[in-house]
Amino acid sequence: MKKIEAIIRPSKLKAIQKGLKNIDIPCITVIPVSGTGIQKSYTKMYRGTEQSLALQNRTMIICVISDENLEKCVNTILEFGSEGEVGDGKIFIYDVQDAIRLSTKVRGDQAII
Amino acid sequence: MEYIDSVIVENQIEITNAIDTVWVALCAALIFFMEGGFALLESGFVRSKNAMSIIAKVFIDIIFGGIIFYIVGFGIAYGSSNGWFAFDIGITENDLGLGLTVSNQLFWFIQLGFAVAAISIVSGALAERMKLWSYTILVLVFCGIMYPMVANWVWNPSGWLSVAGFNDFAGSAAVHAMGGFAALAAAIVLGPRLGKYQKNGKANSIPGHNIPLAAIGCFILWFGWFGFNPGSTLGAIGNWDLIGKVVTNTFLASAAGGISTMIYTQFKYGLIDITMVINGVLAGLVSITAGCNVVDANSAIIIGLVAGVLVDIAVQVIDSFKIDDPVGAIAVHGVNGFFGAIAVGLFATENGMLITGDSALFLVQLKGVSVIALFSFTFTYVVMQVIKKTTGVRISVEEERVGIDAASFGLESYSNFE
Repeated sequence: MKKIEAIIRPSKLKAIQKGLKNIDIPCITVIPVSGTGIQKSYTKMYRGTEQSLALQNRTMIICVISDENLEKCVNTILEFGSEGEVGDGKIFIYDVQDAIRLSTKVRGDQAII
Repeated sequence: MEYIDSVIVENQIEITNAIDTVWVALCAALIFFMEGGFALLESGFVRSKNAMSIIAKVFIDIIFGGIIFYIVGFGIAYGSSNGWFAFDIGITENDLGLGLTVSNQLFWFIQLGFAVAAISIVSGALAERMKLWSYTILVLVFCGIMYPMVANWVWNPSGWLSVAGFNDFAGSAAVHAMGGFAALAAAIVLGPRLGKYQKNGKANSIPGHNIPLAAIGCFILWFGWFGFNPGSTLGAIGNWDLIGKVVTNTFLASAAGGISTMIYTQFKYGLIDITMVINGVLAGLVSITAGCNVVDANSAIIIGLVAGVLVDIAVQVIDSFKIDDPVGAIAVHGVNGFFGAIAVGLFATENGMLITGDSALFLVQLKGVSVIALFSFTFTYVVMQVIKKTTGVRISVEEERVGIDAASFGLESYSNFE
């Protein structure tokens, strides 16, 4: 079982969500995040003055999937989330020990479908 | 026959008073609602951790400022004046010499709206870093003595500026320049917010947390201004023509202010800056407030266009002096209040310098608003220094980092859960 944290451009969310749903990964959690990556020259202007250490708005998709779905899921996010530009985002993959569905109390892969 | 005549006259007085009362009460309520505009505007322009503290300041403006304006302020402003000051207390029963057709009580209420508007200007410039109880002291002094003195000079029939022919219809000088220059002095004594200016002297912007909220504040102020300016006729009977002129001029100047700011920011930054457009519209309103009764429509548009550019430049210049004004109060109200007052001397249809070539009114306007600005700045500077030496003006560094809402109220404006 794997957990994916994908930081993406907010404008890509709908396409990625649809793509994941099409490959039967409907369960995602989404958080608005802000941060900064390797791009260097990003500045925000506010009332004619620069903001130092400005952060950009991004969206984080969190989903927990079975091992065999991993490559499909990553490829979908890459397909719909990438513009080939600096600032597109990143994908992080973690091992997950277990998952439990609250309603039925089932554990393991059964809990994440 | 004589009896019937006197009944008719009595009826006419009654009807005149009743109609004027309806008009003034309506405008007074509109002006009072402007406080809601100030609260939202300032709240939207500060960071979310201080959003409630600025609302608290506007409450202090109204509740403490309003009560002190009842106890001593109104008497100082409209009592029997020696030209500079009056010593009445409470709402005097005497004839104020203004030819009022409304009761002194209602007149007090509409004046209260002006007084709390003037101090609300100051509250914005002090956002995010002032102790609330110390601010309350400033409010009491401002609404109890400072503002009433200036109102006395400008609007009391015996006031020295009033006698000199100073035209400040609804208060570009007496309300806005007064508030704006007080804000300037107070912001200088208070110092900038943490992190506003870097060690190398570079300014760092601290964006407001909710621009739509600030915009709603602007719309409410705009709406209220249609009570602020036409309400200063203090009666509808015999003024219907003037009211139409005032309303039109007020709108034209505000729209022109918005237009020139929008164009200016597009060319200067390559983007339309809506936070500045908000200020531009307000700058147009402030600058037409003094002259909306004496200038024609074309002049109103010119005044608004100038104001909209003036405010953009003023924001930059004030920032370059390291005076931190989170909401642009000094640029909008101080600079444009000053400009509005002298614009009367330039554009008045009958005796403006640019229209007739006669400089008499211009000099009176320039002198009047300069004295008001200087008085306001000096008085506030002294009061703030005294408060600084006694109770202190700044919140602690720790409080400033955490935010006044959490530190002083134990509650945040936006809690994430429930």
